[in-house]
Amino acid sequence: MNSAQTTLSKDRFPVTGMTCTACASSVETILMHTEGIQEASVNYATSTVSVTWDARITPQGIDQALQEVGYGLVISTKEVGESVREAQEKNYQKLKWQTLGAAIATLPIFVLGMFFMHWEPGRWISLVLCIPVLFYFGRHFFTRAIQLAKHGQANMDTLVALSTSIAFLFSTYSTLFPEFWISKGLHPPVYFEAASVILVFVSLGKMLEERAKTNTGTALKKLIGLQPKTLIRLIAMGQESIRLEEVALMDRILVKPGEKIPVDGQVLLGQSYLNESMLSGEYLPVAKGPGDAVFAGTLNQNGSLEIRAEKIGSSTLLGQIIQRVQEAQGSKAPVQRLVDKVSGIFVPVVVLISIATFGLWMVFGGENALSHSILSAVSVLVIACPCALGLATPTALIVGMGKGAENQILIRDAESLELGHQVTALVLDKTGTLTLGKPKVNSQWFNVQEGDLDQAAIEALLLALERNSAHPLAEAVVAHLEAKNLPLVPAEAFENIPGAGIRGRIEGTSYFLGTKKWIQSQGVQLPTSPLAIEKEASEKAQTLIWFCNETRVLAVLGIEDELKQNAKEVVESLGKMNVAVYLLTGDQYAPAKAVADQVGITQFQAECLPADKSNFIKALQQQGKVVAMVGDGVNDAEALAQADVSIAMGMGSDIALDVAKITLVNSDLAKIPQALRLSKLTVHGIRQNLFWAFVYNLIGIPVAAGLLYPTFGILIDPMFASAAMALSSLSVVGNSLRLKTQQLD
Amino acid sequence: MKKLQFKTNIQCGNCLSKVSPKLNEQSGIQSWQVDLQDPDRTLTVETDALNPEDIQKAVLKAGFIATLK
Repeated sequence: MNSAQTTLSKDRFPVTGMTCTACASSVETILMHTEGIQEASVNYATSTVSVTWDARITPQGIDQALQEVGYGLVISTKEVGESVREAQEKNYQKLKWQTLGAAIATLPIFVLGMFFMHWEPGRWISLVLCIPVLFYFGRHFFTRAIQLAKHGQANMDTLVALSTSIAFLFSTYSTLFPEFWISKGLHPPVYFEAASVILVFVSLGKMLEERAKTNTGTALKKLIGLQPKTLIRLIAMGQESIRLEEVALMDRILVKPGEKIPVDGQVLLGQSYLNESMLSGEYLPVAKGPGDAVFAGTLNQNGSLEIRAEKIGSSTLLGQIIQRVQEAQGSKAPVQRLVDKVSGIFVPVVVLISIATFGLWMVFGGENALSHSILSAVSVLVIACPCALGLATPTALIVGMGKGAENQILIRDAESLELGHQVTALVLDKTGTLTLGKPKVNSQWFNVQEGDLDQAAIEALLLALERNSAHPLAEAVVAHLEAKNLPLVPAEAFENIPGAGIRGRIEGTSYFLGTKKWIQSQGVQLPTSPLAIEKEASEKAQTLIWFCNETRVLAVLGIEDELKQNAKEVVESLGKMNVAVYLLTGDQYAPAKAVADQVGITQFQAECLPADKSNFIKALQQQGKVVAMVGDGVNDAEALAQADVSIAMGMGSDIALDVAKITLVNSDLAKIPQALRLSKLTVHGIRQNLFWAFVYNLIGIPVAAGLLYPTFGILIDPMFASAAMALSSLSVVGNSLRLKTQQLD
Repeated sequence: MKKLQFKTNIQCGNCLSKVSPKLNEQSGIQSWQVDLQDPDRTLTVETDALNPEDIQKAVLKAGFIATLK
């Protein structure tokens, strides 16, 4: 073997162009037959391939081999999220270029139409300039309209395509054969200006909307990133480091402190605390010992665990979450936009009016029946499309999104803003959403006895012990006591008993700190009657920590995840908006009930796995409800993806922020009703805009149909079209700006 | 005129679009078609001059596997 072949490189690239698993195996086959490639394996789920190659080929060469068949390799050191952003940027640039091109070509048409109407060559210049505007810069309207027409549907694109193309064909005919109209005693109308200005405005609207979009999230990649890439397998001869893909069922795996669990399995040996917030949303770590189940993606905190792999790859709980988030995101039916709904009704109506106009003129038109029929029927179609049509939605949305941002509500896609006002059910997560997500000492009881330790002394002892523990409850105690400037006392012989508490010696005396049950088992004398603090704790679902020395209890601390101050008011105000509020949490029943009671939520479910939450939302949707989900954790991602409107807390996990379409930057609950109200205002704005856009043209339609001709001898004039356009655009922009001044509260 | 039939792993329209140019540029094929509805995704080729191996090679250029039925 020569030296060129011995230097191997290995990397993973995203692959483009794969749509099914056969494509994936096709890519693999091609690569395996390419010279210089030692190994190639495609992961279809993530659209990536890991390749091992030698010096005979480069990544560019590998790309070329795939390009020949129609796939491609994304070679870049950039994050996948960046590629998505790039694609969006590219799309925006394309729209910008189309809009700009159309605008530049339209300007002379507009000037000619407005100021040199009767200058003969002006028509010819307009005709020539109009061709690229419609059929090059605006061709996407026609392709989309044709696609829809094949399915018997109509939307905004249909109206634009129909109106502009008929205006163009009609005007071209008038320009080429003006005698036809003149001989009938009619003035040959041309609508090049109307057609091209409509197209420019609608393109402008699309461009504005595209610009308002921020990058779509990369939640899936981040979810996949929750699994460790390599792991340690225990084998007869010791241990070996392997890649995640190589792990097999029943393998014994060693997970060190601070590492993530790579697969679903069972603990064989060792004791540790695991942070399972990925599944439950709860920050309190869960004690795990032999026989306990552990799940891929959860974080091992303080002890080494030996586990047996029982589920790997896509069958792990995490794998299923990834799959379901993917499905929920992919299967979402596109929301029909208001403007498309209106157009969908408007288009057939206009076509009917046009046909009726034609028929009536044929019957009652007298000697020039045919030419009048054609002229009027076509005029109806031409005048029907308002040029502010394209601006009605985006201007309102942009002002709405801007207003949201001013109020700490970041809205990532326009659909949420159009859907928010229809929300009839709202699902809240508990920890981190309704509560602060941080344990805090909220009640305390000190057993101070005459001639013994005073409160400060007990606190100093507590602090000395708790400093040695990494348990989140201990952190809460330390945070609570550190502020008090207590004297430092040294603790020794510190010992951590998982699931029970901690033990240590200070100046020759043993101290215990932990659950009541464990303290009892140490032979310490407990108070004979239940303490007041115990009653309070059970109401508020606080966790109690007992502190004692060798003989008696010194103190009891109640720790709870505090509710956000305005939680109750917010739930009330949502109720007033006729939104049914639900609480879903991965936490236990008691704390769930305590929180629900305190904020006034009657419908709640505890111990929800991520899938339970999304199934709950699915069930609500099947009842015909429009569901909003508010959450903050990885465990909420699936539910967020499933919900119609998804809202994440700004202080939540990256993954929740990525999946959710709306982010409350400061995690303030009061922003939820505000966001819904903002949506209502915006949708009102869009509706008003559509009214203003259409109204002038609606007035034009009867004139175009020739209603005024029998009595006044007035037929439609291109001037009508121009005036309607100018007025509708001004009204729409003005009305959108009005949104800025409205109040959200 | 021979009619050759192959079982393939051409699953979807996208796969087919990858294979099409390779078969189209193969001289000696009179006509060919893939039945995506068929569970075997049968590729039927009408040819005088070519061996089954030639067709298999052409399909393999796009990374797909065809086996003679």
